[in-house]
Amino acid sequence: MYCFLRLSVLLVGLIVSVSSYAANAVQPLTTADDLGPKVEQPIEFPHDRHAGDAAKGGMQINCMYCHTYARRSIVAGIPPLQKCIGCHQNIESVRETPRIKKLFEYWEAKKAVPWKKVHDLPDFVRFNHERHIQRFVFAQNKPVQEACGYCHGDVKTMTVARRQKPLSMGWCVSCHQKDHPVDATSTKTTHGPNDCWQCHK
Amino acid sequence: MIENSFNRRDFLKVLGWGGATVALSGCGNTSVEDGREFVTSYVQTADYIIPSIGTYFNSTCAQCDAGCGIMGRVREGRVLKLEGNPKSPTSVGKMCGLGQAGVQAHYNPDRIREPLLRNGDKGEAITWEKALALINEKIGGVKAENIAFLTGGVSGHVKVLLKNYLDALGSGHHYVYEAVAPSIMRAANKKAYGVEMPRLRLDKAKVILSFGADFLGAWVSPVHFSQQYARFRKADNGKRGVLVQVESKMTLTGANADRWLAIRPGTEGILALGLINALSTAGLSVSGDVVAVVKEYTTDRVSKDTGVSAEHIAKLAALLKERSPSLIIAGSAAEGYAHGSQNAAAIALLNQVLGNVGKTVEGSSGIPFPQMAPTTGNRQALQALNDNMAQDKVKVLFSYGSNPVFTAPASMKLKENLKKVPFKVAFAHYMDETAVEADLVLPLNSALEDWGTVMPEYVADGAQLSIRQPLMEKLHPGTLGMGDILLALLKQRRPNEYKGYEDFYSYLRNAMVSNKGALGGADADDNTFWDAALSHGMVKLAGSPVNISSHVSVNGLVVPAPFAEDSAYPLHLIPAVSASLRDGRNANEPWLQESPDPLTTIVWDSWVEMHPKTAAKLGIVEGDIVEVASKSGAIKAQVYVFTGIHPDVISVPLGYGHEAMGRYAKGVGVNAFKILDPIFDKETGELAMHETRVKVSKAGQRVIIVKDEGPAGGQQMGRKIAVRMSSDKVNLSKEV
Repeated sequence: MYCFLRLSVLLVGLIVSVSSYAANAVQPLTTADDLGPKVEQPIEFPHDRHAGDAAKGGMQINCMYCHTYARRSIVAGIPPLQKCIGCHQNIESVRETPRIKKLFEYWEAKKAVPWKKVHDLPDFVRFNHERHIQRFVFAQNKPVQEACGYCHGDVKTMTVARRQKPLSMGWCVSCHQKDHPVDATSTKTTHGPNDCWQCHK
Repeated sequence: MIENSFNRRDFLKVLGWGGATVALSGCGNTSVEDGREFVTSYVQTADYIIPSIGTYFNSTCAQCDAGCGIMGRVREGRVLKLEGNPKSPTSVGKMCGLGQAGVQAHYNPDRIREPLLRNGDKGEAITWEKALALINEKIGGVKAENIAFLTGGVSGHVKVLLKNYLDALGSGHHYVYEAVAPSIMRAANKKAYGVEMPRLRLDKAKVILSFGADFLGAWVSPVHFSQQYARFRKADNGKRGVLVQVESKMTLTGANADRWLAIRPGTEGILALGLINALSTAGLSVSGDVVAVVKEYTTDRVSKDTGVSAEHIAKLAALLKERSPSLIIAGSAAEGYAHGSQNAAAIALLNQVLGNVGKTVEGSSGIPFPQMAPTTGNRQALQALNDNMAQDKVKVLFSYGSNPVFTAPASMKLKENLKKVPFKVAFAHYMDETAVEADLVLPLNSALEDWGTVMPEYVADGAQLSIRQPLMEKLHPGTLGMGDILLALLKQRRPNEYKGYEDFYSYLRNAMVSNKGALGGADADDNTFWDAALSHGMVKLAGSPVNISSHVSVNGLVVPAPFAEDSAYPLHLIPAVSASLRDGRNANEPWLQESPDPLTTIVWDSWVEMHPKTAAKLGIVEGDIVEVASKSGAIKAQVYVFTGIHPDVISVPLGYGHEAMGRYAKGVGVNAFKILDPIFDKETGELAMHETRVKVSKAGQRVIIVKDEGPAGGQQMGRKIAVRMSSDKVNLSKEV
């Protein structure tokens, strides 16, 4: 009986490991299937309405108007509620819509909106927004939406943001191996750092 | 059911397959953790608050009574690490290990989270309204004289509120008790210099002779003294100061000294008088009445009495004569005897003869708001309370900031007497030994989430009021600050006076802003003054300097002969105050249990330090469990054989051996407070901590001591490390 017990433990281990490997092995590096899970947010924030093209009814607001920490910190952050209210208290046309009503409910209760993380790397990875924004937006003069889009996809077409890229190590490295000009005017090229410790500190 | 059949080999197989499974799942990108955690989200925030970037706020440390200025790194609304406040004259941006562990006092899992009312053996959670109403009811049912308030050292606005509350009750029974405070030193200083706590200028001294003052480890204000010590060792003129430490058990300061002299316990005063005699013989001008007293203390006699060799006494006297100013410090080791005050007086006399008073012993600063000045405590206050409790004179007892059930010697029978008090209220962070005995336990905010002001007893420079401010939101909604509780209690008694203050913060802000003229903010408007005070973490007070003069009289200065041998209890017990655990209030912070004792490197346990000669005589080796028995009790602990101790002495650290308090403190080590004999200093009545005589016997078992130190003469990377040598073979300094 004990022998049977041991065998069964080993078999279960084997099956689990093979099936788990199989599940992972089919994933290629970058395809449209790299969509992350749908994340349910307390308020269904319409990125398309705020950042989308004017032709499609968007306001074309710069990403960094709200995600103001991205250029100054390792995280992009969520704007404090006062920033949302700062504009919306003057926008009477949508004041009575369900989402804005909910927004003001949080404001009146002085409660922070419990936004969920959509892009959350494991704790052993240190990704620095500031370095990327400073390089692409401020040194190379790339449009903000393009620079953010390298990792976040075309957020201006989404309502609630959803992960578009795999954010795996191989995917990061595939970009860090590419040469790009040092800044907007230079012909000198370089590529992103490929040392382990740049991300694994 | 599986029992032994599931053996090690099978276990490893399963472990191996399991590991492979985990490793395979790790391939690909399954570790991206979307949609689970929350983003740091604010309602409103200041421009300087940036997620992931730390902001520093100044406050005041509460880990010991030195009251250093600290600075906490706060990120995403949580305090992560503490540093010294660079603007604080006490800490000047530095911090000790004990202070670092302050975050563990704050995030401690054993903190009490809601008011608890005794129901049989258990505490039942109740609301604050109910708890405060209950106090009001109980107080209404007894006479004012039967209400007593026991606290540790208190100062600042909490002290003011406490006094007002006691006044409102009509009770004058405020007992202040500090278990390891330098009470004898305060009394001796008051007598010799006119102030309890003169300012010591280690940085100005060329020679320091310390009689058991562990000023680098646990004595008065170690962080401040450490910085002065650095300047003493590397003076501006390039001359390195010489430190000589005389004590029976080596302290951290003793380990740093150029010469460590093991002295027979209790004979420090004899050595001081012997040095005066040697100095006078060598030509130092000493007044006639002093000479008349000290002339019988010849070097030969002193050497015989103290165990310090005549050669060292001569060298020491020569050094003190040659280099001036010097500084002589009397520490707890010299004062912990029945003749502790005499020892301290003899040491003060040495300072006076050498002309150090006014040079390296300076006056402190007067305090403009005496009602906020620190109340210092002693064991006598506890004795008075204990006597009153024994006679059923205490009906309602409040206890805050001290843990007497843990720190009082067993001979006081404090725990039994406490049971006679019908209603006991404990303000506490943990369910410590005293809180466990209480009928109502009120949970306090941690020092990192509380408002308050602190006036440290030893201020490095001038007078100041240190501010304690919350570094983050409260962790547990059910706790309250001591100031808030006192304010709520005062509202019950004097509603008209206090109803205008919504909470302690508004009281504190109002009290400080309305006195801003005296607090250095005369020209600023209210908000500017208040913001600046919070930003600096303190306000400077315009205190008038107190000049000191030395008037140690030799009249009545008698230092008794060395202790006679006691065949029943042949050894002296030195209860050591360690830099981490002190009187045991911080024992539930695991960093402090885990950080090795600086001299023995032992962690997570008590030990009995013993000289190799004594150990050999008793047939004891390292790791033997021994019973240390005094007339008042016995404890069992492991032996650590150590050359840095006098052969007549054994030493057990204080702070260990909690029976309650929390998961990290409970059951770790033994409590040396319990076996201290009730012997008191003859002048002050203070407990003579070093006076207890003990006998040591083997208890049979032997353990491997858990410590960082390798075996003696051990090697690391092919090199000999930490070579053990007896102290008389080490020659650190040519001067001594």
